[in-house]
Amino acid sequence: MIEQLIELEKTALKELDAVKDPSELEKLRISYLGKKGILTSLMRKVGTLPQEQRADAGRVSNLVKSNLSRRIKEVIEGIESLKPDQSAFIDVTLPGRKPLRGHLHPITLVIQEVCQIFIKMGFKIVKGPNVELDYYNFEALNLPKDHPARDMQDTFYVSDNVVLRTHTSPIQVRTMESQRPPVSIIAPGKVYRRDSDVSHTPMFHQVEGLLVDKQVSLGDLKGTLTSFVHQMFGSDTRIRFRPSFFPFTEPSAEVDIQCVICGGKGCRTCSQSGWLEILGSGMVDPEVYRFVDYDPELYSGFAFGMGIERIAMLKYGIDDIQLFFKNDMRFLKQF
Amino acid sequence: MKISLNWLKEYVEIQMPPRELGKLLTMTGLEVEGIELVGQGLQDVIVSRIAEVKPHQRSDHLSVCQVDTGKEIIPVVCGASNAEVNALVPLALPGFSLPDGMIINETRIRGELSKGMLLAEDEIGLTDDHSGIMILPSDLVPGTSLPSVLPVSDCVFDISITPNRSDCACVIGVAREIAAITGQKIRKPQIRINETGQPIENLTGVTILDPVGCPRYSAGLIQNIEIGASPFWMRYRLYLAGVRSINNVVDVTNYVMLETGQPLHAFDYRRLKENRIVVRRADDGEVFTTLDGTTHNLNTEDLMICDGERAVALAGIMGGLNSEIIDGTRDVLIESAFFNPLTIRKGSKRLGMSTEASYRFERGADIDGTIYALKRAVSLISGLAGGETARDFIDNYPNPYVSPVIGLRIDKANRLLGMDISKDTMIGLLNALELEVNDAGENRLSVKPPSFRVDITREVDVIEEIARLNGYDKIPVTYPSIKPSEDIVNPLLVLRDRVRSAMAGFGFNEVITYAFISPDSADILDVSGESPLVSFVRLINPLSVDQSVMRTSLLPGLLATVKNNIASNEKALKLFEWGKIFIHNQNNQLPIEKTFLAAVINGLYQQKTWYSEERHVDFYDMKGVIEALLKELGLKGAVFSKEGGFPGYDPKLSSGIYYSGALIGQTGRVSPKAMEAYELKKDDTYIFELDIEQVLKIIPLKKSFKPFSKFPAVYRDISMIFERRVESADILGIIKREGGELIESVRIFDSYEGDKIAPSEKALAFSICYRSSQGTLDGAEVNQMHEAIIGRIVNETGGRLREG
Repeated sequence: MIEQLIELEKTALKELDAVKDPSELEKLRISYLGKKGILTSLMRKVGTLPQEQRADAGRVSNLVKSNLSRRIKEVIEGIESLKPDQSAFIDVTLPGRKPLRGHLHPITLVIQEVCQIFIKMGFKIVKGPNVELDYYNFEALNLPKDHPARDMQDTFYVSDNVVLRTHTSPIQVRTMESQRPPVSIIAPGKVYRRDSDVSHTPMFHQVEGLLVDKQVSLGDLKGTLTSFVHQMFGSDTRIRFRPSFFPFTEPSAEVDIQCVICGGKGCRTCSQSGWLEILGSGMVDPEVYRFVDYDPELYSGFAFGMGIERIAMLKYGIDDIQLFFKNDMRFLKQF
Repeated sequence: MKISLNWLKEYVEIQMPPRELGKLLTMTGLEVEGIELVGQGLQDVIVSRIAEVKPHQRSDHLSVCQVDTGKEIIPVVCGASNAEVNALVPLALPGFSLPDGMIINETRIRGELSKGMLLAEDEIGLTDDHSGIMILPSDLVPGTSLPSVLPVSDCVFDISITPNRSDCACVIGVAREIAAITGQKIRKPQIRINETGQPIENLTGVTILDPVGCPRYSAGLIQNIEIGASPFWMRYRLYLAGVRSINNVVDVTNYVMLETGQPLHAFDYRRLKENRIVVRRADDGEVFTTLDGTTHNLNTEDLMICDGERAVALAGIMGGLNSEIIDGTRDVLIESAFFNPLTIRKGSKRLGMSTEASYRFERGADIDGTIYALKRAVSLISGLAGGETARDFIDNYPNPYVSPVIGLRIDKANRLLGMDISKDTMIGLLNALELEVNDAGENRLSVKPPSFRVDITREVDVIEEIARLNGYDKIPVTYPSIKPSEDIVNPLLVLRDRVRSAMAGFGFNEVITYAFISPDSADILDVSGESPLVSFVRLINPLSVDQSVMRTSLLPGLLATVKNNIASNEKALKLFEWGKIFIHNQNNQLPIEKTFLAAVINGLYQQKTWYSEERHVDFYDMKGVIEALLKELGLKGAVFSKEGGFPGYDPKLSSGIYYSGALIGQTGRVSPKAMEAYELKKDDTYIFELDIEQVLKIIPLKKSFKPFSKFPAVYRDISMIFERRVESADILGIIKREGGELIESVRIFDSYEGDKIAPSEKALAFSICYRSSQGTLDGAEVNQMHEAIIGRIVNETGGRLREG
């Protein structure tokens, strides 16, 4: 009986190995384990065996049955795993349910980037009013009334002595008026000039910077602004400082960077010069210190200012300044 | 300012290519904005002689010329009226291409053969003269190439002159810079004057009644001249500098001004009453007509040049019609004066007249340069217009100019520049710039700037001269040591960054609109008379009415942006702006500037997609954004209270936003009037505004952790029917009051109005989460409380439990 069972197990396992599809398997299962199956019939006979053989035969027959059952289950799983699972199919190319994020204005992004660079160097952000006294916007910056340099900036007037600030420089004066050196500030903000054409908007943005301390030199100005340019436009951007004139700095320097469009070879953007003007700067004029009661023999410092629209245009390749204030979604969502 | 290279070369040696010169000038402070080659491509234009002129048989204005090219005689049809036999004229032969692109062909013009073209100056880009064909000097040889005999090939530098460097607004000034850079001295021409006339003091005199306005007045006189056209070389240089040619006398005054920087004026001597000059202030109400035909009303601030009876020029700005040079002028008085910069500036500003002369005077001319310019002009005029030059000049100069003496400390200069330039190098640099330098001790120089450098008055000005001529590129790069600031960062700026990033996170796009708007926008928003929104800050000189007042609300800019985007087919808009508004302040010169946040949603909240239906925005979309934003800022307990009266909002569909009883903002639908004005569709534009100053007052300074319960929660729902006027906030209030600390949270999971209940009713369903921090809640205990809450709601609101 036991030998018979073992033989049966061997045969059945071999047959199971050869099974290819579920119906064949089912037939096989019935032929062994069905009510009239070979194993079932054989097990029925266990009871007829002599007492001393019955226990062993029962144990073996149960073992064989469980082995076969387990094997059948394995085979079923094997067959199942081969066929594709229709219920689990997913089209991963269907667009997902996107959370819609908004966009910050490119001017905001550039101001943030500029400010971050200077904050890292130890500058502090300060703000000032948009509608400003003539005194702060001009006079205390060494631009007396009837000074020809006032022609450099076309001004919106609110009254005889109140203007829309034409630059962020009045914040220099306000800051120095309210604190003693050392001063290290940057001041971003809107500025206004009475000028509107293809390349000018009557409102635009500037970031102003001011550092006053003992022993600040033009070399320090070069170092600070070179570091800024390298962080803003890349460390291989060439930079040059050339003499210029601003009433509130002396000596004054215009800062040019190698044209980011043509790489310095000369193109329309840089008027064939290979250079782009991006910053006005200089050593604070002693005349300005007089207005804020700083001793020019004791302190020196530098100031600089840059137009944010211009930097944004260079950075993002925007060719029309008007786009910044049209706020067209097709523009805004690109940033 | 446009400067000709050929002209510069008369004063200074220039070997390097124009581009390199441009770079050198730029790097020492004269920014060259453009370099243009002019008079190029004319090698094939030849000098020709007109041998014969016959009228064209079939035209009343054309003529047929026989032209000697030096090799042959060819027929050329010509339309100019000044084609005369024996005139030498430029000729283009077939194949030549004119600057405007036209190519010369052998052709027949109304039947007559024409084998070339006789050229006018403008046709080959030399000047804008099209009065006739160009008549060349009579000593030229037919057949020679035009550029080889006329100085047409030139290079024009467009130089941006900063306001402090008026001394460089002339050829000599730029030449001086080039000389300083390249280590040369400029060479001034020998001026020869043949003084054949009477002594000048016999002919005229100058009286200065206002020596403050006019510290120096020099004058020269030439009689019996012949007014005519200037020669080509002079007209060409004027043209390249952008100055119109008038006649030989006026052209010379302009030419000398461009060359020396000294503005000159020529008077018709015979038209000067009493043949003399008086310099005085105008009388109040005096009327004067300048030579451009404009009549001006003057006041006592205006400085006038007068003759024995009346004004003849606005000093330093423009001459008068009554004494200008005309064709019949025979005697000219040339003025070469120095006027007070401030006087000229004020007059030019007030009268709105800016001229080449006023530009130079108001920035400061060279007071010691009047005689040189006068000599140059007189010599040129007598060369071009003949006449007898009066002996000597008038030179009324009561207080000769004394240059300031400026002390320069070597160590101070080096400290400011961050350099180590030796004293000798400094002396060399300053001398190159024609500053007189004397040694004044070990660490000291005494510096005297020349009279044309009125911009150098202080030590720091001298330091700049040293730095720029030495080259900014030689200054070593150093870094300042900045002391870390201990101040806390401005909370407004922190808030701004948090709000911006939160709003972007909520799907809103940031816009920046102009801070000036149209005053009409107040009407559109239906602002009442006493509202701060009509306390406009008005611009005196706006660009247009649409930008004539500073905004008192962010809404007009925002709604206009919505309108423009709808026009470009945007169907779902979410925009915000962070910015200042400006309220006129009675008690202060400066207005109140307040920061606001405003946002708008328009159109579709959700487009139709494969997973969602299309849905238009509504009140709760906007309210949710505000709630999420306030939560992001750590603000709990804001109260929305339905109310009207906010300008620009629909009174039936708007709500105030309160915090501890103070209004911090408002939200709601755009008012019907504003909808119409901005062409918005009904029902689908919602806005909010937050007063950032108010928000800043209440925003918690820090976040703090609160321990949470370790024990399990029990959830119970309530579904009830209420009158529609019952507000959910009241019911939530009852639940929280009644349940006390055990209520962890309440969620409204259904809100229903419709067929299944009465039209005056609504159904609300709440899911309450009970949890204790003390221990696990007992089911019976919760049920008891839940029943109590329901009972309380029924009592206070009249609501009833919803069946089923």
